[in-house]
Amino acid sequence: MTSRLSLRDFSLALALVVLCAFFAVRVPGWAFLSARNLSLLMIDFSVTATLAIGMLLVILPGHIDLSAGSGVGLIGGIAAVLVTQQEWPAPLAMLTALVIALGLWWAMGSFIVRQRVPAFIVTLGGLLFFKGEFWSVIKSHTVPIVAGGKQNLYSLITTYYLPPAAGYVLAALIVAGLIFGSLRSRAARRQYGFQVDDAEVCFLKLFLAAQIVFLFVIVTNQFRGVPLPALILGAVALAVWVITQHTPFGRYLYAIGGNEEAAVISGIPVARVTTGAFILMGAIVALTGFMQTAYGGSSTTTVGELMELDAVAACVIGGVSLKGGRGTVLGVLCGALIMACLVNGMQLLAVEPALKLKARGAVLILAVWMDVRFGRGS
Amino acid sequence: MLLTARGITKTFPGVIALNDVSFDLQAGEIHALCGENGAGKSTLIKLLSGLHPYGSYEGELLVDGHIAQFHGIADAGRAGLAVIYQELALIEEMSVAENIFLGAAPRRGPFVDWSKLHHDARALLQRFGVGTDPAAPIGRLGVGEKQLVEIVKALAKNSRILILDEPTAALAEHEVQTLLGILRDLRARGLSCIYISHRLDEVFALADRITVLRDGATIWTKPSAETNKAEVIRAMVGREIKDLFPPKKSAPRDANDAALQVDGLTVADPHTGQTRLHDISFAVAPGEVLGLGGLMGAGRTELLMHLFGAWGERRTGRVELNGRELPPLEPHEILLRGLALVSEDRRRYGLVLPETIGFNLSLSSLRGLVKHGLVDHGKEFQKNDRAFRSLRVKAPGLEATVGKLSGGNQQKVVLGKALMTEPSVVFLDEPTRGIDVGAKHEIYEIIRQLTGAGKAVVLVSSELPELMGLSDRILMLHEGRIGGEFSGATATQERLLTAAMGQAIA
Repeated sequence: MTSRLSLRDFSLALALVVLCAFFAVRVPGWAFLSARNLSLLMIDFSVTATLAIGMLLVILPGHIDLSAGSGVGLIGGIAAVLVTQQEWPAPLAMLTALVIALGLWWAMGSFIVRQRVPAFIVTLGGLLFFKGEFWSVIKSHTVPIVAGGKQNLYSLITTYYLPPAAGYVLAALIVAGLIFGSLRSRAARRQYGFQVDDAEVCFLKLFLAAQIVFLFVIVTNQFRGVPLPALILGAVALAVWVITQHTPFGRYLYAIGGNEEAAVISGIPVARVTTGAFILMGAIVALTGFMQTAYGGSSTTTVGELMELDAVAACVIGGVSLKGGRGTVLGVLCGALIMACLVNGMQLLAVEPALKLKARGAVLILAVWMDVRFGRGS
Repeated sequence: MLLTARGITKTFPGVIALNDVSFDLQAGEIHALCGENGAGKSTLIKLLSGLHPYGSYEGELLVDGHIAQFHGIADAGRAGLAVIYQELALIEEMSVAENIFLGAAPRRGPFVDWSKLHHDARALLQRFGVGTDPAAPIGRLGVGEKQLVEIVKALAKNSRILILDEPTAALAEHEVQTLLGILRDLRARGLSCIYISHRLDEVFALADRITVLRDGATIWTKPSAETNKAEVIRAMVGREIKDLFPPKKSAPRDANDAALQVDGLTVADPHTGQTRLHDISFAVAPGEVLGLGGLMGAGRTELLMHLFGAWGERRTGRVELNGRELPPLEPHEILLRGLALVSEDRRRYGLVLPETIGFNLSLSSLRGLVKHGLVDHGKEFQKNDRAFRSLRVKAPGLEATVGKLSGGNQQKVVLGKALMTEPSVVFLDEPTRGIDVGAKHEIYEIIRQLTGAGKAVVLVSSELPELMGLSDRILMLHEGRIGGEFSGATATQERLLTAAMGQAIA
């Protein structure tokens, strides 16, 4: 649970740098590093990372959710149909779709824990079922998210950008929060007699984080500003970080994944906690569904396809153990960034779709293999 | 001499499991091994069967007068030894015939020769007088029949020496008689057998010679005709209780206001539906230690786990905790009512091994350490630190990984976790198993502190001296029933062991 700079973190950062350098050089006209592309990359990353953070909540107690990608399509599709075909106001439509998602994931979660059917099977069934339901909801057509040319909350998700000034204010607030938080936790840890980083290392980490935050805002401001999905990701990441690191619920997720039998005997309501993780996953799937569907402008049969695998890959690359009990939000963010860069870079290189699929498959297997081979004890 | 073990010494880190043990087995002999739990019987068997390979022990093992070097079970199997374990190694989904020839099925080309397989199996079963249908799936057989299939399976591999570890623990009386009959028959055909049982009736009905082990050493070997049950029990118990146990600090209060009261509890195994605990009644008062003894499989752990909500289906019975009825709930609800359990298997049921000491300590009491919905890290640290210090856990600090600690320190963390919930009743299941003497003593001190603070303790232990040294009263369980209750004055090791074996108390 404690975050210490390890060989693993280092190799993760190295992989990211090498990957970016490769695309920066190979993509003609430095297009990979253009403000426009980085802004688009940021939206891609936000969508992938949000779902991956949800996946973290499910993998921590030792489960998995293969239905997430289909769910993204289904929930986004339900909202789109309600908006354009039933002419509901967008907020109500999205709220309804969210409630449906919570219900579906509650049902899957409780079925998995109460009936002891492996999550792998239940969510694999969910993958097919949700996809079928998705196609019948949109009648296998293309359903726009907003009636011709107008705007609503749904379409704002991709069209809204934070004004540049607000972006800088936000960046300043985030950095101030980081400094305040880390100084406070450092003081507390020292008071408890726990190990703390050297002052220089601590400063370096903060400095690096501040640079990343400001660089991000500067780059996105050069295009249109901080995109809304990035803010959604920020909120989700913060919420899940607080849940996993600072609530009993989060502690229980680690305990269940680390040793479920001991968790039961330690008085952890394992069924309730695990179901709770799935319900949170449902909420995150709904958010991702809105973002991904809005990104495409309409709900089509392929929305969300294979996203569950990108989410799992992001988790594993980011150091989450598929056996449960190990993994952090920060790691998942790094993993998702690698996945997003990979997908984006291949897009720019105009890699043919067949090869793209193979590359994603290879990365998924490679990441899990590295987890099995080197992941123990870290 | 068919099998000879000479001067065998086997040590584990911190423990001497076998100390200069000698043992021999003649052709056509049934030789019984007797000893308390932990006397070294299992270690000796593992050594004979190659599980503790050649080179991991001192002394020598001879088969047919030649030094045997077993590097694994396969080597021992080739030399003609077969172990029939308490937990049967049969595959439930396969038929009797398939199990008998598991891994050695007759073939025709690349295919299994099914008709020969069934024919051979039937012939074998008939030869040894076992009336089981070779086509029946194992899952449908009773425990007794499975045991017989296991033996036939060993014989199919031309084994000359059968090692039976508590073969009758789970058998009904008529099945026991069948088994004993078959073993006598096999002896008449020249097979040898090492027979381990807590049931002295069987031992004397069957064995030619008896060897008693105690604390990893051979006490004596005698022909069974020249000894008797009383002498065997005395030899098994033997040692004196040393000054290991701290004196009681306070007298237990009046038993009328019991902290935990159990009346007529009958519980069934949720998987098999068989009744495992029969009509159990007892009470524990605040400040009292109730010892719970019995042989392996007597139902001690099941009783604790059931009361804690982690095992079994309650058929009848009523439980009261601090004067309030306690219905069958889940462990997390029971813990909130003030009952905590420290399990016998700390690595499996006690600890989240990859996590830190602090994580594990506060795990059960985290609910009380919350401010505005978030964990109050300052308060958590204070509570953890207090437990860490008062239990004297030997580790660099709260952030050390719990999986890397020694057994005794791990046990202290499990204890600390349970005590941080501030329970009124504490169940301790084998709290000193596998830990060194120093840590044992510290755990005894902690138990005394608990009762001093008015908590009721139920202590399960396989070590009789420990039970006698710590308990105010002792209940002995025998096959899921209470075999006898003893107060401090009436408890002697002989009487306890007699009750545990289900014998009438003399």
